Amino acid sequence: MTELAQNVIDGLGRGSIYALLALGIAVIFGVMHLLNFAHGELITVSGYVAYWVFSAGLNWYWIAPLVVLVSVGTALAIEQVAFRWVRGAADFTMLLTSFGVHFVVQAVFFMYVSASVRNFDRPRWITNTFDVGPVTIEVFDVVVVAVTALTLAATAAVLLRTMFGLSLRAAAEDFDAARLMGVKSDRVIRGAFALSGVLAGIAAIFWLMRAGQTTPSAGITPMLKGVLAALIGGLGSLRGAVLGGLLLGLAEVLLRSRLPDGIAGLTDGVVFVLIALLFIFRPGGLITVSRAERV
Amino acid sequence: MLDIDGLTVRYGSISAVRGVSLSVPGGEVVGLIGPNGAGKTTLLNTVAGLLHPASGHVRLDGTDTTGYAPDRLLRLGVALVPEHRRLFTDLTVVENLRVGAATLPGRERSVMLDEIADLFEVLRHKWTTPAGYLSGGEAQQLAIARALMSRPRLLMMDEPSLGLAPVLVDVVFELIDQLRAQGRTLLVVEQNAARMLEVSDRAYVLRSGEMVASGSGAELARRSDLFETFVGSVVGDTEDAGP
Amino acid sequence: MKHPGSFADARRDVAFPMTGAALLAAVLIVGGAVYSAAGGATADKLVTAMLIDAIMVVGLQIYIGNTGVFSFGHIGFAAVAGYAFAVLAIEPARKSTVIRNAPWGLNEVHLTPVQATAVASLVTLAAAVVVGWGLARSGAKSGSVSAAVITLALLFVTHELALNWTDLTGGDRAGLSFRIGNTLEGRTVIYAVLVAVIVVARLFAQSRIGRLAQAAREDNLAARAMGVNPVAGQVAALLLSVLVVAVAASLRVYDIGNITPKFFFFDYTLLTLVMLIVGGRNSVTGALSGVVIITAGRELTRRFASDGFEFFGASLDAPVVDWLLREGLTQIFLGAAMLGFMILRTNGLLGDWELDTWLWRRWRRRKPEERPEPLAEIAPVGLHVEVDREGAALEVHDLAVDFGGFRALDGAGLTVAPDEVVGLIGPNGAGKTTLVNVITGVVAPSAGWFKVGERELTSAPSHDIARAGLVRTFQNLRLFGALTVHQNVELAARVAAQHRPGNHPPVDALIAEAGLWDVRGRRARELDYGSARRLELARAAAMAPAYLLLDEPTSGMSDAESAEMIGRIRHMAAAVDAGVLVIDHDLNFITGISDRIYVLDQGQVISAGTPDEVQADPAVRAAYLGAESDAEGRA
Repeated sequence: MTELAQNVIDGLGRGSIYALLALGIAVIFGVMHLLNFAHGELITVSGYVAYWVFSAGLNWYWIAPLVVLVSVGTALAIEQVAFRWVRGAADFTMLLTSFGVHFVVQAVFFMYVSASVRNFDRPRWITNTFDVGPVTIEVFDVVVVAVTALTLAATAAVLLRTMFGLSLRAAAEDFDAARLMGVKSDRVIRGAFALSGVLAGIAAIFWLMRAGQTTPSAGITPMLKGVLAALIGGLGSLRGAVLGGLLLGLAEVLLRSRLPDGIAGLTDGVVFVLIALLFIFRPGGLITVSRAERV
Repeated sequence: MLDIDGLTVRYGSISAVRGVSLSVPGGEVVGLIGPNGAGKTTLLNTVAGLLHPASGHVRLDGTDTTGYAPDRLLRLGVALVPEHRRLFTDLTVVENLRVGAATLPGRERSVMLDEIADLFEVLRHKWTTPAGYLSGGEAQQLAIARALMSRPRLLMMDEPSLGLAPVLVDVVFELIDQLRAQGRTLLVVEQNAARMLEVSDRAYVLRSGEMVASGSGAELARRSDLFETFVGSVVGDTEDAGP
Repeated sequence: MKHPGSFADARRDVAFPMTGAALLAAVLIVGGAVYSAAGGATADKLVTAMLIDAIMVVGLQIYIGNTGVFSFGHIGFAAVAGYAFAVLAIEPARKSTVIRNAPWGLNEVHLTPVQATAVASLVTLAAAVVVGWGLARSGAKSGSVSAAVITLALLFVTHELALNWTDLTGGDRAGLSFRIGNTLEGRTVIYAVLVAVIVVARLFAQSRIGRLAQAAREDNLAARAMGVNPVAGQVAALLLSVLVVAVAASLRVYDIGNITPKFFFFDYTLLTLVMLIVGGRNSVTGALSGVVIITAGRELTRRFASDGFEFFGASLDAPVVDWLLREGLTQIFLGAAMLGFMILRTNGLLGDWELDTWLWRRWRRRKPEERPEPLAEIAPVGLHVEVDREGAALEVHDLAVDFGGFRALDGAGLTVAPDEVVGLIGPNGAGKTTLVNVITGVVAPSAGWFKVGERELTSAPSHDIARAGLVRTFQNLRLFGALTVHQNVELAARVAAQHRPGNHPPVDALIAEAGLWDVRGRRARELDYGSARRLELARAAAMAPAYLLLDEPTSGMSDAESAEMIGRIRHMAAAVDAGVLVIDHDLNFITGISDRIYVLDQGQVISAGTPDEVQADPAVRAAYLGAESDAEGRA
């Protein structure tokens, strides 16, 4: 029981970051049907910004807001340079385009910035823990969960209360109908990228705080987790993406602590098998957004 | 108010609309009728800026608006209630209405919401219901109300009675009557020709992408060959020059 | 009954593909030999790697090209094969230093490279069967995201296993390696495999099952409506492609002499996919061109990066250039190639251009061919289907369909006798297309049933319904766009030959009857609208259907063209001895073609009878003009 409680808390901390990433991916998929494999590049770029700022002698209070700004800027730049040219193309064309972006960005960092690991200090409080009864809780997890909850609440408020949020949700459901109502396609797509940049920026802060280092390929793992979480949630669904992120985090922690010692290292593999099985039996994801095939 | 001149629209190798001209004077209700596949929906979608014509012009009060994006046309006062309603089913009734006012400044949106609430009593009771849960009649009213939110000077409707039970068809036509009484300009595509002609000041008949007849609603309603036009006879000698 | 093989044109499907494949292989081999002769050891390595990549990429092409299903997982299969090969072929003394505790005593096993390749292929095929089942279960089709996820999962799972199952793989650090000098020598084996693989890929693409897979790639729904079960083609393509990939992986490991987890992972997936995409994934010629282009491009960028920029002897030695051009440039080149082609030329350089098909067409053009007699001349003498269709009526009873609260069909029913032409009309939204969708297995009814003769088909899958003789056309034209006119019709005839009893109409005669003889070699997507409509009709007739179900066959046609379609449809149906159910909104057309007519409104049959009876029915008038009794009085 104690162990389970411990797992759930650890899993929520991990899953929160996944949820932020997945939500950003789902927002973009919703409006333009792009499964964005370049989402991780926002974290790669943020990582180097964190490193530079840290090298300049500034601390995390400066790094955090800068990371969010840079992440938004990068998201908008990638849209402008690559994705706007394939708007409305086949889903797969867009998916491969995002792959292309991923590889180009990664290679540019590898060539012109650094191929080796860049380290920076992690905040001192990050390893602090406190005990509640038999359960040990990391301060970091509490911060992550709290900030994620706040971020999600703010995102929900934007989506539910603002005209931009309404336009975005309307466009995600029926792009042409939204255009007929006067929603500008440029504005809503850029807005979606900006929003995904904010969410990825916040996720990046936590990711980098925990890692304390970055490399040109640092974005791959968070991107994959985000994509998987969004897929589990059914891609188009925003609620599904958040749920998918939390589930993925919990599943990882539970598997890691429950699998026999010999194969605990295979946690990621097992997670992939589970996700493949999910798609074999429910190709639309857990929360299926069904659209009838028009004949 | 609206003048369409020699409009041709193509999908790949098919011409869905071929050289159609028509005009909608301010304050009138104009019906556009014709069988399936006549090109009526294509025509409305082109006027609303969703499609680009291969040739021809669309003019609004003399300004050439051919090729304008939908949001720009909305700001100029042209709104469309699309075929099959195309409501945002995950959004609530009031959210749908808000999206309809996307081109208005924020303050005017709430004013418009009040106006619409007065006009559509049925919807007021369902303000926070997701649009997906509305009945067919309510959904159609919402679709029209949503388009009215942008304060259009010209409201186009595509098959507003499609898929509605007869009682609800009455509701839609009463609404059209009501809008006409308010002096609004309407361009309505309808299959329900007899009912449409009753409420139209003038009407055009489209078939296979071409204009085959036009006249006042009453004139066309008296034409005995109209049934044949609808169900497939070739109309040759009944061509009407129109106004 | 005709043998299915009788459709194969030995020249087109065997001789030319083999010649073309040999030519392609020869270009690669000779070109490679010349380059390595000129360039020494580095060039030698480069060419060997290119030839092995070529085998690998052709392997990918067999699956991705023929089915349109995108796989990120083929390099995962390569990893399985590569490790299996290495574990089996490396001499025990050497591998025992790394994997002393290998399971099943594998550290003691020592097979020859050929044996090891064979076993590795079998192991990989077993994995492919499991993945293939999963893909089929998920309903994979051209461009589906679920297939991308499942195959991506495969890639990562194999990578995780390679990293963590250290008893077998040696893990990340050591990997498994052959003793130096114990690796592949000379390129003869690679040459032989390359030729064989290109030949197999081309033969598969021209084979019956290959064509079925391509049809499902072009249009899954239309393929099912023609009696094609997409899963069969996909599974065949997957197994064949995985076999090729397994052999290529073994060669790659044997050539380089070692294997580590990152050997067959993301980077190699990117490299092979870019090669395939850049050249043109739908053709073997395209895949091979991609291999050459990308290999050359990578080599050039690598040289720029290491030697600086030299152009016709003039070198740019500016520090800026040195700073710009350096290691990593090849990765940028790959990513940029992928980006550029996705944005500017999605289908790759060659699209679906194929060397041997092009040669075959040129060869054919020299030889004048006699125009076959249209069906009208042959029929009905030799064409009547021999099965007894007496009493095999199409009966549809009480169908109901709900789309989220909207009742599209509300108890509709009708019957069509074996040699009857029955029309179904009704205003927009009446439920006509929904009815055809139900009786072709596209939409499941919430109530009601239908049968042909004694065979109830209510819950059968689309392809079984088509094989049972209910064959449809589509309102929005669904042809197999990349296939030629001839291939479109022939494909249906092949399915019919296998699944429909009795005699079948000759493909050429059907094409002539549809007025398409002069354009028979053209791709379907290049046809004008009227021709495309007639092709869809000919394709349906080639199924030798019991009933032709035509959904708005004249939509988008002018009145004159519609009138002409009446004769064409009646002819075609009589020649293949099919009953007809035709949907249209045009009463003029329907009365011209039909023996009997049903009128549908709001999901119910509101009138039925001869054309005259229906036309006189006030209910029909009301349905069309929308008014009740007063419209009737006025008219």
